[in-house]
Amino acid sequence: MKMARLLALACGLAATLWAQQFQFNLEHLKDKASDAVDLSLNADTLGIAARFLNGKDPDEAKVKKLIMGIEGIYIKHFEFKSSGAWSAADLDRVRVQLKAPEWSRIVGVKGEDGENIEVWMRTERGKVSGVAILASEPRELTVANLVGNIDIETLAELGGHFGLPKMLKK
Amino acid sequence: MDWLEQELTQALARKDPGPGFDSRVRARLARRPQWLAIAAALLMLVGGSEAWQQYRGHQAKEQVMTAMRIAGGKLNRVQAQISGGAQ
Repeated sequence: MKMARLLALACGLAATLWAQQFQFNLEHLKDKASDAVDLSLNADTLGIAARFLNGKDPDEAKVKKLIMGIEGIYIKHFEFKSSGAWSAADLDRVRVQLKAPEWSRIVGVKGEDGENIEVWMRTERGKVSGVAILASEPRELTVANLVGNIDIETLAELGGHFGLPKMLKK
Repeated sequence: MDWLEQELTQALARKDPGPGFDSRVRARLARRPQWLAIAAALLMLVGGSEAWQQYRGHQAKEQVMTAMRIAGGKLNRVQAQISGGAQ
């Protein structure tokens, strides 16, 4: 019985790692964070979500169309009460896995407030097969892996629609 | 006694229901609640399954919207910084 449970757990973990294109290795930050979001959405969950998204709502309709090409979304987002909770090594451990020729950094921006965002793209046989987002601020760290054919422009546009970007809130 | 009275007397006369009538009635009464319980359980199962599907769907939708907010928000900031720098 115990063996069967261990086997099931190992199979589940293997399925997650297989779907995710790189490992986050950020579990140690969970206890330090004041707020944490850990999302692991596979194709099945995205399919279920698509059925519940309202096609008549403009934003939800766009999300519905966008997730058609996505096979998985994996995000870890941490917010901390003080700076220095995460280190550059945390991001280096992720970055080192994003190797050429599959992965290439398409953009990297640095903000005045210590914000740093890198967007990496994975291509296979000339087609986009994944996106990695590494975003850090003194008191915030986000790593995301979107697996599949992602329309980055539409996703960025949606990000603005939701009204969350801090720069727009300021 | 005329013919009508005779007919009525015969029709309304006490009749022996036969051996085992009492136990047959009791058995049937005992069986009925079991079927009711099974039907109620099936209804609850179907209703519960539907409710679970609804819950799972709404939860999945909320998770996708949160993912879009986080990932889309970061990409939007990149886009805004690039277009801001270009101006």
